[in-house]
Order: sequence, then structure tokens, then C-alpha cells
Amino acid sequence: MIYMDNAATTRPDPDALRRAEIYLTEKYFNPSGLYREGFELNKELDSARKNILSCIADEEIFDLIFTSCGTESDNTAVFNFGRRGNIVTTAGEHSAIISTVNEQKNRGVEVRIAPLNGDSTVNIEALLDLIDEKTSLVSVIHVNNETGAINDVNEIARLAKERNPRIIFHTDGVQSFGKIPFRMQKHIDLYSLSAHKIGGLKGIGALIFKKKLLLRPFIFGGGQEKGRRSGTENVFGIKTLEYACEKKFKNLKADGERLVGYKDLMERELNPSIFRVISPKNSSPYILCLSASKCRGEILLHMADDEGLVIGTGSACSSNSKTRYSRVILASGYDEATADTVIRISFSPETTREEVEEAVKILNRSAKKLADKMV
Amino acid sequence: MEKVIIIRYAELFLKGKNRGYFERAFSNNIEKALQGISHELIKTSGRYLVENFDVEETEKIVSRLKKVFGIHTMSIALRVSSSMADIAEAAKSISRKKGRFKVETHRADKKFPMHSVEVSAEIGGLLLETYRGLSVDIHEPEFTVYVDIRENGTTLVFSEFFEGPNGMPVGTAGRGLLLISGGIDSPVAGHMIAKRGMKVDCLHFHSYPYTNMQAKEKVVDLAKTLASYEGGLNLYIVSVTKIQEAIHEHCAEDLMVTLLRRFMFRIAERLAKNTSHQCLITGESLGQVASQTIEGMTSSNSVVQDLPILRPLVGFDKNEIIERSVAMGAYEISILPYEDCCTVFLPKYPAIRPKMNYILEEEAKLDVDGLIKEAFETIEKIEIK
Repeated sequence: MIYMDNAATTRPDPDALRRAEIYLTEKYFNPSGLYREGFELNKELDSARKNILSCIADEEIFDLIFTSCGTESDNTAVFNFGRRGNIVTTAGEHSAIISTVNEQKNRGVEVRIAPLNGDSTVNIEALLDLIDEKTSLVSVIHVNNETGAINDVNEIARLAKERNPRIIFHTDGVQSFGKIPFRMQKHIDLYSLSAHKIGGLKGIGALIFKKKLLLRPFIFGGGQEKGRRSGTENVFGIKTLEYACEKKFKNLKADGERLVGYKDLMERELNPSIFRVISPKNSSPYILCLSASKCRGEILLHMADDEGLVIGTGSACSSNSKTRYSRVILASGYDEATADTVIRISFSPETTREEVEEAVKILNRSAKKLADKMV
Repeated sequence: MEKVIIIRYAELFLKGKNRGYFERAFSNNIEKALQGISHELIKTSGRYLVENFDVEETEKIVSRLKKVFGIHTMSIALRVSSSMADIAEAAKSISRKKGRFKVETHRADKKFPMHSVEVSAEIGGLLLETYRGLSVDIHEPEFTVYVDIRENGTTLVFSEFFEGPNGMPVGTAGRGLLLISGGIDSPVAGHMIAKRGMKVDCLHFHSYPYTNMQAKEKVVDLAKTLASYEGGLNLYIVSVTKIQEAIHEHCAEDLMVTLLRRFMFRIAERLAKNTSHQCLITGESLGQVASQTIEGMTSSNSVVQDLPILRPLVGFDKNEIIERSVAMGAYEISILPYEDCCTVFLPKYPAIRPKMNYILEEEAKLDVDGLIKEAFETIEKIEIK
């Protein structure tokens, strides 16, 4: 099986699993335990926290809490800082943001959605125009999970704070953390990340936040994470994140360059009479979003699956028009007919050139077969 | 004082000489529904009693019995010896503490020393003395305490009637094969026919890779919902992908649905004969969609040679069907947005009143037998308990 749906989840990194195994078998203690073993484990958690944080942020200014996933991190950001006035966000957000701001809308907070450019990056001018003195939170996705489009969030945060210095700026970095070179600058206040997109375990995420911010919990209990997020820590999961991070950031540049090569190869070799690239130039090396003319994305996905290639799709065989087409693809200006044909190939550093070549063959073959039937 | 559940049956009492057959099926179905819960099922005159069960399981038992066709009503009762002191004690323990009430007594044991009216008056009086918040209202009571004095020296005291699903015991009216989609209608059609006592199994057509696995899983869930009223059923799944592709390739676009349905009915009849089903059942409702016109139905009927096709919903409005779907517990599953039939091949303008000549002409372009044979090779059987 060739796995190319790494933007959905990655295979847990075997090295990270092996190294973290000791936290299942020997160091299984509760980090809140008052005995020496618990205390030491707690210190190890703090060192993991620092190691992960330092990959993209200055430890003197920022701190990090562990959560259960990227979605929880996004929810924590919105429910903490999008509570009054208005929230400004983009049409390119993951549903972890869109659904959460919609919940805030039901609770009386105004929500303003900035449109996207044709390349699915946010229209910065339009976004800035939505910010006013009542804006409490601005949230802009770093790398779009469907097209791989990259928003320059440091710059956008700077410009946003020029409009209103009191806003809190959040970015969903789930598809960028450990994948593209990036450091948080001072204008970004909050950053969400997830372990299982980079070889860590599912069930672990984190929210990086400025130390000066008062982060209120919405999970109460034993006071873990300095009271900001209670619940016994998933030490094993956290350690897989730490080890996966270590590897990812060490090879960030080399991995990125190799994957860009794979993307180019695919773009070159895929049948041009069927496939059209949706991902913009300079998008994430990890995501290649395509439209396959006359081929409904999900059908192509099933056909590729039957041939041993696992990919993602932006559309679904859904009778509900609201869930049928990708919001992001439509917001980027594509029509429903195109949105119906979108597939997403997403790589990991484990992806090999041979796999890419084989995937091209399978996609060309399946799409041709399907397109012929659609005539 | 012991808790028992009284089961009163629906139309069984109409049955004459074959009543025993119906009663056996009925009690078997009850036993099947209560599998895994320790209990005893006792037949008494005109009713059944569930007894010797763990009182903690009462709610579970009632909820399972609510799905056994043939049950008219149920009551959770206290069984005591037929002495006024014990009856009074039971009445006190089930009575509300305040409100308007009455006591209604039924005396099957004609040797009991008091008349029904006297028993009601005495028990009512005791309740009034016990709870100051009570007042008697025999015309519009807020609740009623029922006292049922049986012939065997015991009395059942209860205050509520739970509605059963009515109908006839499943298995007493033959076997039918339901063409089930992932929509709202077909499970309702199956439920209605099962309610009349027929053992209904299901046949579903899918067209992977044009439809997804979730759509198939949704049908399994719908079949499970129907199965919960029947004590299990068989779900057959057949792929019509090749048939859809062949129609798309060779035939007029506007006949896709008409021709596909003719294939489905042919496959259904052949399967039904192999599996000893005596009829086909569909959820068609006249005029609901383009294929459910009288012409569409005529076209489908004409390929079925020997079996009757039951269409219990034919005269129903969509709203009526939805009400029944909600009541049987299928609606939430039916409205999940997975397509059960591939829409990529659906014509923009399907033939609403296709002429038979036209249909036959187009169908002649296909290897009908070959395609059906191929479809049969994909058959999958899922036994739902």
C-alpha cells in the first residue's frame, strides 16, 4: 500500500515509538505523583515542553500547554480570546476554527470571514479591513490543509496589530509545524499544533501562547498544565511528539527540498489532459491538491484505493450540498463542478521516489478509466 | 409483593382454530426479544406475564417488548395475594401522592367476596386516608390505580398502560424480500409489512467505487433497526456497478434509472426464489420521484414474473412516511448524507413516463442475463441478529 494521505495523519514514527516505549513499560507513573518517580517524570515533561516549544518559538516569551489535539488547541484559543466584540478569521480555516467561531456567533460574538485569493491564501487587504477597535481575536491558518497554500502569518499578524494593537492573533499551525521553516515572531500570540501530522501519536496536540496571556481552562480538574488544562498527561504521546519533532526539525530543509521534487515530478508526469494543479506555487511541499477533469474525487479515491494507493479528497459522495464540496476550494473561486473533482495527495518524509512514480501510474490509469466511463 | 409485566396482545384474539399457531409464534418472538435477560414467560387467560426477573432490568424488558409485533399494551404490575390488605399495600406503593385519581377494579375471580365497585371504593378510601394530596375524580382522573383480581388467588395492581407496536407476530405471514436503499422510505415499508407478521429480509444494491463504504454501512445500520423488530434478519448486498456502467455506455441517458430498476427487480426476484421469499417489498410512493410514476412501476413489474410486489407506501405523503420513520427509529440514520446510489450517472432529465417499446429497444442493447449473472457473483450476505 502506498500511503499518501499524510495531511490526514501520518504513520507514527517508528524511532519515536521505540524511544518513547519506556514511558509505557517502565516510567508509567503519574507525573503529579509526589514520589520521586512522579516528580522526575514531571521534570521530563517540562523538558519535552521546552524542546518542542524551542523548535519554533522563543522560550522566554512563549509557553506551551499540551492538549488532546489540534482541534482542542484551536477551541482553547477561540473560547479564551474570541469572547467579545468580533472575531476576524478566513474562509480558508479548518473546521476546528470555523465550527468554533460559529459557536461563538450563536453566543452573540460577531464573526467576520475574510475571503481568499484564487490561490487559497487569505486576501490580506480584505482581512485587515475587517479588523476594527472591537476585534478581539484574529485567527489565520498557516498552511491550508486542503491546498497547502501558505499564509505569511508573521507578516499578517504584524499588519493586523497595526490596525488594532489590542487584538490577540492566533494561527492554526497543524499543517505547518515541523514541515516548513518558521519561527513565531512577537506579533503572533497563539499557535496550534498536532502530533500525529508529523509522526507523533493521535491524541496529542499543543497550544503555544504568549506567557503574558491569561489562559483560562475549559477542562477543569487536577490542575495539570499549571491549571490551564487539567487531566493526567499522556506522557507516552507527548514523548512521541518530542522525538518526532527532534527528527522533523533536524531534517526540515532536506525533507522539504526532496518533497518539492516529488511534487514537481507528479505535476510533470500526471496526464495533463485530466489533471490540473490546484495547489499554488510555493505551497507546502507536503500537499499537492489536484483537480481530475470529469472524475469525481471520491470515486477516483476509491479506484486508487483498490489499486493500493491511499489519497485524500476535497469532495464526498454526499447528498448534502453543504458537505459535498470543499469550502476552501469554492472560496478560492472554483465552481462546484471543479470542486467535485478535487483530490489531495499528501506526502511525509517517509514517502519515496518509487512510491511517487507508482502513484502517478495508478492515478493516470484510474483517472483515464474513470474519465472514459464518464463520457 | 412481586413485580411482573403484563403483556396484552393485539389481533390474536381474532384468530379461531389456528390461534395456537399464532400464540406459539408470539411467545417465541417475546422469548427471542428477551434473550439474555433471565425471566419466565407465563401464559394466562388472554395475556402473558413476564415474571421472575431482576427488577433492575424492568426498563430494558419494556423497551425490548415495545418492538415485538403483536403486543397491544403492557403494564408493570405488582402481584400480591388476593387479600384486601395486600391489595391496599400494593395500591399505596404505586399511587401518586397527590392529584385526582380513581380506582378501577376488574374481577376475573367471580368467587372473590366483594364486587368490583366495592373493592374500588375501599381501596380508593384507603388511598385518600394515606395521602392527603389526593382527591377522587372518576370522570377525568390524572391517574388510575387498576386492580385486576385473577382466578388463581393473586391480584395484579398497576397504574399505567404502555403502548405496544400492535400488529401480528413476525413469522406468521410468510417471508418477503425488501429492496432497501439508504433512504427514508424502504425501512418504513419493511417495518409496515413486518408488522403484519411477515418475516422481512433485505436486499441492497450498491455501486462501489461510485458510492462509498459509509453508504453501505448506513444500510447495515438501517437493516439493524428493522431487525430489532423481527428478532434478526438477513441482508443481501449486490453490486450493480457493472450494470450501471453498461447502461451508461450503451443506452439512452434518460432511461438510466428505469433500466437499472428493471435489473434490480430481476435480481430481487431471482434471489427471492433462491431464498424462499414469497414476495418483493419496496418503499415506492406514487409520484415521489421520477422513477415512481405508474409507468415506472409498470416497467419494473413487467420483469417480475411470479412474485407479487408489495408497495405499502404507495399512497403515502412524504410527511407521513417521515413520521413513521421517526417512530421506528430509522430517521436519524436515513438522513445521514451518504449517497446510496451513484449520482454521477444520473440523467439530468430522466424519463418520467417511459414507453414500453422504447425501454425494450434500449434494453435489447444489453446482455441482460450476462450482467445479472455477473451481479450475482458479487452477492454478500450479512446475518443481522
